[in-house]
Amino acid sequence: MKTDAVRGHLDGLLLSVLESGPLHGYAIIAAVQERSGGVLELRKGTIYPALNRLERIGLLSSAWESVGERRRRCYELTDAGRRSLATERTRWRAFTAAIGSVLEPAPAPGHAT
Amino acid sequence: MKAPEIPADDPIEAHLADLTATLHGPARLKTQMVDELREGLLDTARELSPDAEPDRDAARQAIRQFGPVAELAPSFQRELTITQARHTARTVMLIIPCLLVCWYLVELSTRAAGHRLPDPLQVVVAHLGGLAALTALLAAVSLSVTGTLARRLPLPQQLPLVVAWTGTTAAVALGLSALTLITAAVLATNWPLTATACLITIVFHARIAASARACRHCARLPVTAP
Repeated sequence: MKTDAVRGHLDGLLLSVLESGPLHGYAIIAAVQERSGGVLELRKGTIYPALNRLERIGLLSSAWESVGERRRRCYELTDAGRRSLATERTRWRAFTAAIGSVLEPAPAPGHAT
Repeated sequence: MKAPEIPADDPIEAHLADLTATLHGPARLKTQMVDELREGLLDTARELSPDAEPDRDAARQAIRQFGPVAELAPSFQRELTITQARHTARTVMLIIPCLLVCWYLVELSTRAAGHRLPDPLQVVVAHLGGLAALTALLAAVSLSVTGTLARRLPLPQQLPLVVAWTGTTAAVALGLSALTLITAAVLATNWPLTATACLITIVFHARIAASARACRHCARLPVTAP
């Protein structure tokens, strides 16, 4: 799926993969791709500014951790982030239900009363 | 300061050096974001490389997956610009009230000593104080809009530029206030106090002016919507 199609849902995707616990940037990218079965294409480099934005508006918190010689920034959902994820899920379910009901084949005209 | 040497055969470091040279804004955030990107590129290159240490082909492939500098820079710059705008707004919001209290204390002290500043100077200081208070109010609003309020409200594209000019206005108001206080110090009998207030005003003016200048520079750079 094209990167543009993902753009509007990026926040929800990032919040969702962090629901189970803290992850660093690359692990977040890998989790999104794995959970989508490789269908969602992310422009990997743009994930980092997106994570920074989510932290700025208080949906994520981050901390630097040392792993051997490397330092990684790990992100975690805040309480506001969990609430935002729940809202995002509700909206998405309502949206897909509405689109699904339109896309489903309409009943044959002969059956109409 | 001498720039760190980039190994000629390291595509990732060369790519990051290009990106770093393109970006402008708060140094700490810039370093953090580039460091994070480096870690991601190294992880990807390691995954793509058959060897334990990533080779140059794997590094180039990782760079392609992450996107070229021209594509990455606007989204990184957006965060840097907003963070710079928040720094400027915070500086204005914290300094101006302190300064207004400082001026008020000078006024009280002058009155207590049985003196009054000449009326024209009082009028000028009152107007400049009002203008400075207005910029502090605008700065506080900008800080909220770029922080937690951004969860609910879309961020206006021109907001960093508005913050930059708010900071510039505050800096000009403080500069003019410093001139007014210099004049007052000459006329006042309690000139050491007025001169101290003037000195504090000049220091704060310099601080806000520098932050507003950095913000104006960032606000002119191209950015992409999130």
